[in-house]
Amino acid sequence: MTPQIELVDVQKHYGSFHALKDINLTVPKGQFVALVGPSGCGKSTLLRSIAGLERISGGTLRIEAQVVNDLPPRKRDLAMVFQSYALYPHMSVRDNLTYALRLNGVSKAERAKAAEEVAGVIGLEDLLDRKPRELSGGQRQRVAMGRAIIREPKAFLFDEPLSNLDAALRVRMRKEVRALHDRIGATSVYVTHDQIEAMTMADHVVVLRAGVIEQQGAPMELYDRPANRFVAGFIGSPAMNFVPGALTGAGTVRLELPGSPEIGVEMGGEAGRAVTVGLRPEHLIVGREEGAKIPVTIGAVEQTGSSCYLFTEGDPEVLVTTEGTSAIRAGDAVSLHVAPGHVHLFDPKTGLTLRG
Amino acid sequence: MRRLLNSLRDGIGFDTLLVILALSYLMVFAGLPLIYNIVISFQTVDVFSLGTLVHPSAGVENYESIFADRQAATVLWNTVIFTLGSVALQFTLGFALALFFHQNFTGATWIRGLFLAAWVMPGLVVGVLWNWLLSGDFGVINYVLESLGLIDEPVFWRSNPETSLYSVLIANVWYGTPFNMILLAVGLSSIPEDLYEAAELDGANAFQRFWTITLPMMRATIGAVLALGVIFTLQQFDLFAAITQGGPAGSSTVAQYWSWELSFREFDFGRGAVISVLMIVLVLFVSLFYVRSTKAETQL
Ligand SMILES: Nc1ncnc2c1ncn2[C@@H]1O[C@H](COP(=O)(O)OP(=O)(O)OP(=O)(O)O)[C@@H](O)[C@H]1O
Ligand SMILES: [Mg+2]
Repeated sequence: MTPQIELVDVQKHYGSFHALKDINLTVPKGQFVALVGPSGCGKSTLLRSIAGLERISGGTLRIEAQVVNDLPPRKRDLAMVFQSYALYPHMSVRDNLTYALRLNGVSKAERAKAAEEVAGVIGLEDLLDRKPRELSGGQRQRVAMGRAIIREPKAFLFDEPLSNLDAALRVRMRKEVRALHDRIGATSVYVTHDQIEAMTMADHVVVLRAGVIEQQGAPMELYDRPANRFVAGFIGSPAMNFVPGALTGAGTVRLELPGSPEIGVEMGGEAGRAVTVGLRPEHLIVGREEGAKIPVTIGAVEQTGSSCYLFTEGDPEVLVTTEGTSAIRAGDAVSLHVAPGHVHLFDPKTGLTLRG
Repeated sequence: MRRLLNSLRDGIGFDTLLVILALSYLMVFAGLPLIYNIVISFQTVDVFSLGTLVHPSAGVENYESIFADRQAATVLWNTVIFTLGSVALQFTLGFALALFFHQNFTGATWIRGLFLAAWVMPGLVVGVLWNWLLSGDFGVINYVLESLGLIDEPVFWRSNPETSLYSVLIANVWYGTPFNMILLAVGLSSIPEDLYEAAELDGANAFQRFWTITLPMMRATIGAVLALGVIFTLQQFDLFAAITQGGPAGSSTVAQYWSWELSFREFDFGRGAVISVLMIVLVLFVSLFYVRSTKAETQL
């Protein structure tokens, strides 16, 4: 099957600044792809390049197998939801929704019908005659979504569409957007800086840093097998702990923590080789007896009710999360356990994952 | 006294004081002359009675004689042509230039700044400048038209009754276009870029974007620019004084110039005031339109 969107070696330069480097990405029809990365990494640039709002400086961009490098945005048949929503302030919600249809010469009666239908889908039936300035942030967001789904574009592009909403609404809209995507069988590319949004919504996650794709794959693949230290630290919340250490050559790694504890790993390697050890807070278990131990002193405890954050004393600080409440207090000495399969090892210089 | 000091210290009541000052200023220097102008339009006032406070009443005689004057029709027609022509051309050229400079090519800001040079010149200087340009014997305009083969012999723009009004009109368009351009450029730059991007993705071509985004978003600005254009054009006096003096034979006389002629050439202050009063009424209506359009500002 031909991919809906395909990028081959795409480059983007702003003057001497190389904003996107060798981007290769394939989006099959019906897939929900998330682009994540820290601020300034080029997520918006990549999305806008797909939309045609930015001209790519090199490589090939195909939509439904057609090369669109030189096609203006209006001929690409894509719909975009902007972070600012970009609603037309001088038009009613109805006119905002049907703007594209009007340009396409769809009759007034049909436009009215389409507007009612879409308003039903996004739950804005009563607001069709309002102007955007008379809507709340959440309602504006819905209008922006409605404007995208009213025609059947080849793909939907989202640029941080939920970032202006409050936390509770954001969680709800996350599910709604994904449900909408599934219902209409759309193809979506979704930009966010929030890795939880990416992990929960997407089929395929692309991690960008400084214009380079660091890794792409299914959400759990990135979580379980990060390609490098950056991805390991970026995916997962709270973030992975990194502790310097050295291989012993006997299936363990010695951590540079007080007491030089040794923990089991799933790889041999030459003895004495320096590594960076990655330990996810949720994979560290407090005070169970089997397996190797890491003796630590707890420096601070934060309880949220549903989970508990334990920060160890010393440098580097290690964060441990436990479910529910915990009786452990600051100053307690405990021992931490971790299964060998949950220990990630990285080359300290290149940051690449070491595999046995 | 103490209350006054307190009010200065706390700022309470100080705002009221400022408002009173501003209002009294307006009353003395704008309100009174306006009222006096209306009063003398109903009186017989000449050079000899100008100094006295009370003049013989003339009833509506001044008004009747103005409308009966055989110049009235010409002046009215000239004023309409001059005002509508100037505003239409200034606006169209100004809008075109504003759109052009909105493309933000290199040097756009600089060249746009140069256009402002025309606008900061005193009207009399602009008038003299255009006298040279329009001059029949050695004017640049005639030279260019002749070189292009559009005319065979020099046209005496200013002394020909057929063209005299238009020579002032052209000068006025040149004079007022930069002002239109600047106001419209401000309006253009206040339209968020992402609206155009959204429209582009919705399938709008450049013409459709202009028609469905730019124009409606600029409604308030356009209303204001047109209203100000009418007001400024009705005030234009310097160019007439410098270029044609209303002539030849009154062929380029407009209302504001006629009013001046009646008052300060013929010393018939009553009839001169009649024209000012009529113009004030007109400007009042235009100002209402102006205020309404600035209120209806499109906002998100
Ligand atoms: N028009 C431009 N000219 C020059 N540099 C630009 C331009 N647009 C973006 N950049 C640069 O390209 C890089 C990527 O920008 P981009 O907007 O894609 O970041 P982003 O990943 O979307 O960040 P954020 O999460 O903050 O929105 C940034 O370093 C930015 O400074
Ligand atoms: Mg961005």
